[in-house]
Amino acid sequence: MDLVARCQAGDVDAFETVYREHSARLYTLACRMAGSTEDGEDLLQEIFLQVYRKLGSFKGESSLGTWLYRLALNHCLDFVRSRQARMNKLTETLDAEASFEPTARRDTPIARLDLERAIERLPEGCREAFVLHDVEGFDHKEVGDLLGIAEGTSKSQVFKARLKLRAMLKGK
Amino acid sequence: MVMHPNDATLNDYADGTLDAAGRATVEPHLATCAGCRQTVGDLREIMRATGELGLREPPVRAWSRLERAIKMEQEHAPVARSLQASASGPAKAGHSMRYVTGLAAAAALVLATAVGMRYVPARQIDAPAASAGTGAAITADEAAQSIEAELRQAESHYENAIKGLEAIASGEQSELDPRTAATLQNNLAVIDQAISESRAAVRSQPGSEPAQQSLIDGFKTKIGLLQDTVALINEMRKGNESGAARIASGLKQKGH
Repeated sequence: MDLVARCQAGDVDAFETVYREHSARLYTLACRMAGSTEDGEDLLQEIFLQVYRKLGSFKGESSLGTWLYRLALNHCLDFVRSRQARMNKLTETLDAEASFEPTARRDTPIARLDLERAIERLPEGCREAFVLHDVEGFDHKEVGDLLGIAEGTSKSQVFKARLKLRAMLKGK
Repeated sequence: MVMHPNDATLNDYADGTLDAAGRATVEPHLATCAGCRQTVGDLREIMRATGELGLREPPVRAWSRLERAIKMEQEHAPVARSLQASASGPAKAGHSMRYVTGLAAAAALVLATAVGMRYVPARQIDAPAASAGTGAAITADEAAQSIEAELRQAESHYENAIKGLEAIASGEQSELDPRTAATLQNNLAVIDQAISESRAAVRSQPGSEPAQQSLIDGFKTKIGLLQDTVALINEMRKGNESGAARIASGLKQKGH
């Protein structure tokens, strides 16, 4: 019996194998989309509980990894939309904050941890667009569709995010 | 006077999406302008570093939490559904706990209640912005009352989750070695003090976002510590020394 069939039959050991294989990718996505490791951990828990409940509907039309990623992405997007709706906060203030001194210099490579922290600190809206485009590799049309924004808005948000990151990383 | 390309143009140039006509304008400028060259270089460095970001491993406790929740679903799904429904009413949540026996099931129940509950603190209330696009006329007072009500509800959920976890953890603490138990107690005391101070701040300034955030962070930290405690006890019972050691090491970091 293959792994998915064992999971569908309620085998927790098989489910743990699926978790071990895919959790890092989904946790990373969740942390970056949510902008915090705490929310990322909660999202991971919710995602895998959904996976556990919905694995019965997995038909194998795509790879398990693709199916899991899509489910996780949708869950993260639901979380982001819900939070945005509640906070009613977009990135209008970013334009002023993202100004920078063009003569400042950065001569050393960006440390991974610094970049991760800076991404977490990006404002809502542009962080999700940046993560989806620059990290996850979606094009602006796809990002627009996923976030419910225009393609041009996605481009502008990613651009703002890069400038904001530049300003934050340069300030170290 | 030198005319610099705007930031959007430099961004498009940096990521290779600027058209040929644009490049023909930008490239001669970059040859003579160190500032714009630096901007393009920085943007490319950010894109390069972003492309090299690796994966992050979830904490060890994440699987333990999930495993407990799954086992609870398998073994106690009807009871859990009933209890989760009753947990939405604060008066019934504690009463319902007695129907579930066993550490794993009880912990999973509490987690299932806590996991679905997240409080997002309100940012500055802006009445016109709050109603923009919704067609609803929400006043600042109404928004403030709504936020306070949500905070109270969130507080109630967190407190219920904490009570449940405390009951489990205190009932099983004899499983822990004295030093770990002492560390746990010390950390809990620190977190309780922080919660107490945050709660006082929220009471005196109900609209203060930092106070609200601090209170919710305190609850979340305490829940995390108690979850780790339950996970630790489970790992010790399973005889998983390395898993227990990892969690115990993490316990020592909490509360500081």
